[in-house]
Formats: sequence, structure tokens, C-alpha cells
Amino acid sequence: MLSNKGKVIERLLQGAFICRTSDEEAWRFLKNPANREQVDDYLATLNRSVATVGGGAEAEVFYCAYRQLGESERRVVGQQFRDVCNGLTPLVEWLLLVQEAGAQDAPLTEGSPIRLNELLSIVEDTPAFREQLARISRYRLFGSTSSSVDAQIKQVFKKLCELGYLLRPNPEKQIYLGTGKLDYLYEVIRFIDEAEGLALEERAELASQGSLL
Amino acid sequence: MSGNLHQAGVRFLRQLGRHAEPIMDAYLSGSVPDQALEPAVEERLVKDGILYRPEPGADLHLRRAVRALLEEALRDDRNRQIDANTGSALATVKTLAAHYKEARHQGDYAAADAYLVDLKEHVYSFSEGLGHSVRVLWSRINNEFGYVGSLAAKIRENELAQSQVSELLAGLELIDFSELAETAGELRELRRLLVTGLQRNVSSCCQELGVVQGRLLELLGRFRKIQGRTRLLRGWLLHVEQQPDYRPGSHAALPQMPQLLNLAEPLISPAAVNIHDSSQEAELLALAAQIRAQREERASAPLAEAGELVLDAVESFEVQPSPIQLAVQEYLCEVIVSGKPVSGLTWWHARALPWDPETWLYQVIGGYEALPDEQRACFQLDPDGEAHPVFSGNFIVRDISLWLA
Repeated sequence: MLSNKGKVIERLLQGAFICRTSDEEAWRFLKNPANREQVDDYLATLNRSVATVGGGAEAEVFYCAYRQLGESERRVVGQQFRDVCNGLTPLVEWLLLVQEAGAQDAPLTEGSPIRLNELLSIVEDTPAFREQLARISRYRLFGSTSSSVDAQIKQVFKKLCELGYLLRPNPEKQIYLGTGKLDYLYEVIRFIDEAEGLALEERAELASQGSLL
Repeated sequence: MSGNLHQAGVRFLRQLGRHAEPIMDAYLSGSVPDQALEPAVEERLVKDGILYRPEPGADLHLRRAVRALLEEALRDDRNRQIDANTGSALATVKTLAAHYKEARHQGDYAAADAYLVDLKEHVYSFSEGLGHSVRVLWSRINNEFGYVGSLAAKIRENELAQSQVSELLAGLELIDFSELAETAGELRELRRLLVTGLQRNVSSCCQELGVVQGRLLELLGRFRKIQGRTRLLRGWLLHVEQQPDYRPGSHAALPQMPQLLNLAEPLISPAAVNIHDSSQEAELLALAAQIRAQREERASAPLAEAGELVLDAVESFEVQPSPIQLAVQEYLCEVIVSGKPVSGLTWWHARALPWDPETWLYQVIGGYEALPDEQRACFQLDPDGEAHPVFSGNFIVRDISLWLA
């Protein structure tokens, strides 16, 4: 049997994002700075280190990063960044759809539950949401070809579970939980926003004021 | 005098108790319409100052004092009023202290005692009011302003609470303890009340308000973060809509690549089973058993999607008789035609049938047994053979003969 440390290392090397929702035991283990150092030391041999989303003590999501970036590492990282960027627009549209359909103030984040059946009935009853879902599900990221709302939404959720953004704790039930990878996604958008000076927040603010007037 | 006051107070409280229903209705819905009350009751409640009419033609409302009493007793969230008016309370306290000192000075001890009781009441209620304000603030923090729906409303509520905290703190700064100590002078009672007691209360309250302020700021930060995320998502969509061919730059290629984009490649694939490790045998067998179970499940799955069942006329079909059955029929016909016993093997020889003699005999017996009862009664089948030489009760059939009974 693997020790706790072994399990954590294995999960990290599999490319998993460890958060409270996805793996509470491993998350607690990594929250302890001494444990984290041990894992870090082990990963150093493989040119890897434990990275976090958000800095310092409020780090809630852990993943595995390269320690030193050589040519080949840069290629891998660059490819991954392109993949993330290609998936951004579909994911953002989906996040907003879930938020609007649920009439919530807060977008989906780590640990927030979605009841698929509730979401489904709301989307089915609202033509605007139905259109939005149809558009989202046809993105290459989700790749649905079905015309029924039920099949579209199931395909989207299945894909999101595969990508690690959602978790289905009980396979008998249609209840999904957001994982820490969503928090990573927000950070990536924020990073792009800051790095390219897109001023996304101000733009949204202006647009919402414009629609109020 | 005090007897009268006592009686009047009891009467007022009874009044409240007797009309508890309409009062609670008014508390919950904000007002009571005139029709809901009997005129006599309405008049009495208005006269006692429990209900009042804010403007002509409006419905009756609860008076502020009664409402505050209920809010306090029910710990209602809607109670957001905080009394930050330290200045006037302080002035009253100082005035009463001056009265007390004067009465003591003049040797009027009865009046001095009355002033002291009054003063105590004021100081205590001031401390109690401070404690209440802090409690109200905490209860709002603890349910994270859950009594309002939207995030923007929560942020506004949070800002209101913060301004209340600052007002309270500013009010508490007005209290100058050296001045109070001077006012109290050498009088022991006054010192205890104004300096020791009040100071203890005020300082603990200040400390707690500091914590409250910290928590409020933290909550505000969280609300803003959530709001920021929503804006970020919307902003992204707007941006992509306005510039459909927008692609983020290749930040991963920059020399100072941010840590955020540094994602290591997944390295570990699952290990394979070691079938030579006998210590794992039990687990592996269990796994193998599961595989079979899954296969059965898969076989049963298509049953659920069976094709549509259509009730139709039965299609006619013909059973093709096998050649050996035809041969048996021919043999039976021969028995009928000849009217004599015909041995099965003789017939077999005569016709040179291609089957094994034993098969042929079995088929003949079978053909005979398969006849309908009334037809079988016309035939008689005799086995031709001998008993087993060693094992009694066994009869070896060598041949059979069939004739018409």
C-alpha cells in the first residue's frame, strides 16, 4: 500500500489538480508546509515542483510544475497553454450559462454543486439558454452533434468531467461539483487580462451600465 | 406616584398581550389595514401609543419603540439600526453626575440616591447599547448578509456596516476618561461607575469592533473577488465577440514565463499487473470475477432495447420431414398393405437403408410411439431379443416386428 506521501506524489505526477473537493486527504497533506517540502524534494529529481494557484498561505489548489525550463519543457508548456486558450471561450460561455440559469451571483467555483436535472429543466424551458447550450455543445472542445438538449448537456458535462473541471462524487446521482481546476482557469484569464492589458473587468462594467441606461 | 406608574405599565403590557395577534401582523407586514381591527380596539391601541397613522389615509403602523422591542426580543435580522450617538449619552451622564454631586454637597441624600439610580440606569444602558450594536454587527457577518439576495446588495450592506463601525469608533473616541475622572472627583460610587466600569466596557467594545472591522473588510474582499470573476468572464466574452480572431500571445515562450502557466506533463501511467506475485492472487481473482460479471451485464443490456413487438397473423410454415422419418412411414404402410408382421431388420436389409441398424430400430420405435393413440392401437410392436445373461431385468432387443393388431 502506498503511503499518503506516495499517493500525493502519484496524483501530482499524473497531472492532477489537487484541491479540497477532488482529494481532501491529499489536500490536507499538502497544506502542511513540512509535507509539501518533502514532496517538493522528491519531485526535484524529476525536474518538477509543487506549484499552487494563488500564493502563500491561501493556496487552495496544488499541481505539478517544471523546476527548470529547457527547450523540450518549453514546447510542452507552450502546447498546453495553447490548449487552454483554445478551450477558454467555450468554458467561459458554459460558466456564464450555468450562472445565469441558476440565477446566481457567483460563478461556479471549487466545491460549488450543480444539479444536472435542475439545470436541464431550466435550460429546456428557456429558448435563449437552449440556443446558448446548442452553440456551446458544438464547440470542438465538447464536440456534440446531437440536437436534443438532454444529449447536448450530458455530453458537455461528460467532457468537463474528463477534463477535470467537474467531479461526480456519486455515479448514481446527477450532481456535479466544481474542482480547483476552475480556479486555475480564472487565474489564467486574469493573467491574460493583465499581461495583454485587455481591461476585461472595466469593459464588463461599462457594458452592464450601458444596458441599465 | 410610583404605584400609579406601576399599574399603568402593567395595564400597557396587558394591552400588548391581549392584542398580540394584530401587533405581530403589523410587525411582519409593516402595517395593518383599518378593516382588520375593531374600531374600539384600534382606538385603544392608538391612544396607548402602540399603533400610529404616519399620514392621513395611510394604514396603521407600529410605533418605533414597540418595533424595536420586538426586533430585539426576536433577534430579527432586519434590525440594522445602530445607535452611534455617544455624544448625547455622554452629555446626559455628565449632567446627572453634576446633579448628584450637588445634592451630595447640599446634604440632600434622598435626592442624591435618586440621581445615582438614574445615572446608573443611563450608564448601564449605554454599555448595553454598545454590546447590542456589536452583537448586531456580528450576527450580520455570521450569516454573510444572507438576508439580501444579490451580491451587489451584499456589498452595499457591507459598506453600510463598515460606516456604522467607523461611526461607533469615532463616537467612542469622544469619551475622555480623564474628564470623566475629574467629573467623578473623589466620590467612590461615581468613580466606580464612570471610570472603572465604563472604561472596561468601552475598551472591550473597541477591541471587538476592531475585529469586526477586519472581518467586514475580509468579507468585502471576498464579495469583490466573486464579482470580479463574473466581470472577468463577461469581459472575456465581450472581447471575443468584438475581436473574433483574437488569440492570446504566446506567453509561454517568454523568457520570464509566469509560474501559473508552468504545467508539467503527466508522467505516470498505471502500472501493469504482476501475475507471478502470489500474494496478489486473491485480489486478482476478485478482479477477474468482476470482469465476468461485467460481461454478463453487457449481455443483458440489449434486452432492454428489444425491438417492437407486432401482433400479426402467424406465417405458415412447413416442417420438412427427415428422410429417416419418411422411411419409417413407408415401413408402416408396408405393414398395413401386407397385413403380416414385418421385421424391422428384414425391411432394413430389403430396402438397404443407409442408417445404422440400431438407429433404424430406435427410429421405428420412436415413430410407433409418436403415432396418435387411436392409430397406435391398430399396430402391435413386438420386441425380438433375449434377457441379459448376467444382469436380470435387462432385455436386449435384437429386432422388432410390427403387425396389425
